Amino acid sequence: MVTAKTFAVYRKEITDALRDGRSVFAIFVFPFILYPAMIGFMSWIQTKNAEEARALTLRVGIVGEAQIPGLADSVRAISGVEAVHLDAPPRRLEDAGLDAALVVPAGIVDAVGRGEKAKVVLFYKEADNRSSQASERLKPVLDQVRRSLTVAWARSLGARAESPPEFRVEERNISSKHEMGRFFAALLIPYLLVFLVAAGSMHMAVDTTTGEKERSTLETLLATAATRGELVMGKTMAVLTASLTGAMTGIAGLWLTFNVVAKLFPGTERQSMQFVIGPDKALLLLLTMIPAAVFISATLVAIGCFARGMREGQAYASYFYMATIFLGLGSFGQQNPAQSRFFIPVLNTALLQREILTDTVNTMHALTAIGTSCGLAALMLVIAVRLFSNESVLFRT
Amino acid sequence: MIQVSELSKTFHDRKKGDIPAVRGISFTCRPGQVFGLLGRNGAGKTTTLRMLATILVPTGGTAKVAGFDIIEKPAEVRRRIGYLSGDTKLYDRLTGRELLAYFGALAGMPRAAVAKRMTELTPQFDLADLLDKRVGRMSTGMKQRLSITRVVFHDPEVLIFDEPTAGLDVIGARHVLRLIQELKGKGRTVIFSTHIMTEAERICDEIAIIEQGRLLAEGPLETIRGRAASRSLEDVFVGVVTGASNGDR
Repeated sequence: MVTAKTFAVYRKEITDALRDGRSVFAIFVFPFILYPAMIGFMSWIQTKNAEEARALTLRVGIVGEAQIPGLADSVRAISGVEAVHLDAPPRRLEDAGLDAALVVPAGIVDAVGRGEKAKVVLFYKEADNRSSQASERLKPVLDQVRRSLTVAWARSLGARAESPPEFRVEERNISSKHEMGRFFAALLIPYLLVFLVAAGSMHMAVDTTTGEKERSTLETLLATAATRGELVMGKTMAVLTASLTGAMTGIAGLWLTFNVVAKLFPGTERQSMQFVIGPDKALLLLLTMIPAAVFISATLVAIGCFARGMREGQAYASYFYMATIFLGLGSFGQQNPAQSRFFIPVLNTALLQREILTDTVNTMHALTAIGTSCGLAALMLVIAVRLFSNESVLFRT
Repeated sequence: MIQVSELSKTFHDRKKGDIPAVRGISFTCRPGQVFGLLGRNGAGKTTTLRMLATILVPTGGTAKVAGFDIIEKPAEVRRRIGYLSGDTKLYDRLTGRELLAYFGALAGMPRAAVAKRMTELTPQFDLADLLDKRVGRMSTGMKQRLSITRVVFHDPEVLIFDEPTAGLDVIGARHVLRLIQELKGKGRTVIFSTHIMTEAERICDEIAIIEQGRLLAEGPLETIRGRAASRSLEDVFVGVVTGASNGDR
């Protein structure tokens, strides 16, 4: 089916796409602008939010501050917190002009001494930035309350507890930047690859098929000596090239963002990680991506053949694009996916690529995923050729 | 040579049911002659020519183009035809050279043959100024020259022109008609559809008048004129078509 005429169609479509500013921008420029811009912007927003949160002065009401000695002073000692004495819990924080309210029941120390249950309640609103910030700032004080009550309880049992030692759990992420890079690569790359392949092929697939109808070039093409199969194969190969190129430049853009750009800007260094994928794994990722990419490209070409006009084609293609995104998203959080998942197109490729990146490839998973994708790719190619050979589809209005 | 035998085409529409576009027409176009297919808009001319170009498949009858059956050997037919329709467009992002090379390759021409043919046709069609220009930046006249060059690029035996002068100005239309006469002079078989009678009078050796998918008259131009006792093809055409319409009533 692949002949000199197929390559003629392929060359023409690639030349056409390379002269289409939108395609060139989407494939070669966008990934190197979008990802650095995204991480830069997100880090900037994060930094700004943290600065603004630190600058806030928050009002915290305390009911029963005398019940635990030193509580009110501890709250007042928190930077940017104004402690307000309350006789009773407010009905609404907003009405009392408060961001949070701490309610200490009467006789709590005695109750703890008797070995009874005791409860201190912190009222705050998670949905309100100021309020949730107040709750964050009160956390060390609440730890102190816990310690004070524990000391009170120990004393009631005759212990000579004066100043309790400070217990602290310190969380230290000892993953190296390389390990973090591998973790994120395994999480993101399989999803991004299917997403980028679908995104890269969508516009071109519709343009090379429905576009021929809309621009009145189809008749001329159909009257040439090329068979419908040669025409569809040439177009699918061009779409496949564009989608795989888009996927590779997308990954390169991501690599550049995390390895280079993230280190350049203040505030984003923490986001940097060593995003290293060896050439062997890169090759395996590409090889495993090809059957899925053929399936996606052929499906989009079939959709383009079926559609009456560009708007209809783009609408159908975007439904398929969304479906691939959802299938790709399905790969998140699947630690030990069942064999059956490897029969689901797109998802199977994302899952297999995760196994490649984490060195956990299961041969049956690999065979199922590649076999299913190849089978579906062949089926979609046949459907695309059939649609392109069906005059009632090509000339329907 | 084109031999059309009882050719029919019926389109199916879900709402309207079967719509017969061409109803069992037969005619023959000989090499070295221009055959004019005349008819009103919607008469069935385009459908007939699309079937001859194997773009559409007939629902009845058949035709032989350059000795090959359009149903059994469509690929062989396409290899031997040049097809131009008045509303056909070209690829805006390709240059003239790329466009010709593309259609040359689709016709199965090797690269060397494409280059040679381009050199041959450049003076004949005045292509020098448009070979390296993108189609999207060409004037209408330039596009027309390129379209015509595309049709003859692989030197086809049979040429099918579907209202090729539609949308062209007087100069452009003359250019197309002159080309058709040149092709006739080279012994090519040319079939040409139009609803402009003066064009048909100027270049056709034989004509067929088609109305509602039926062939109402067919033969050498002079014979048809003589049969209708009129010197004007337009009068002949109106007489034949309205006669048929009245007959239908």
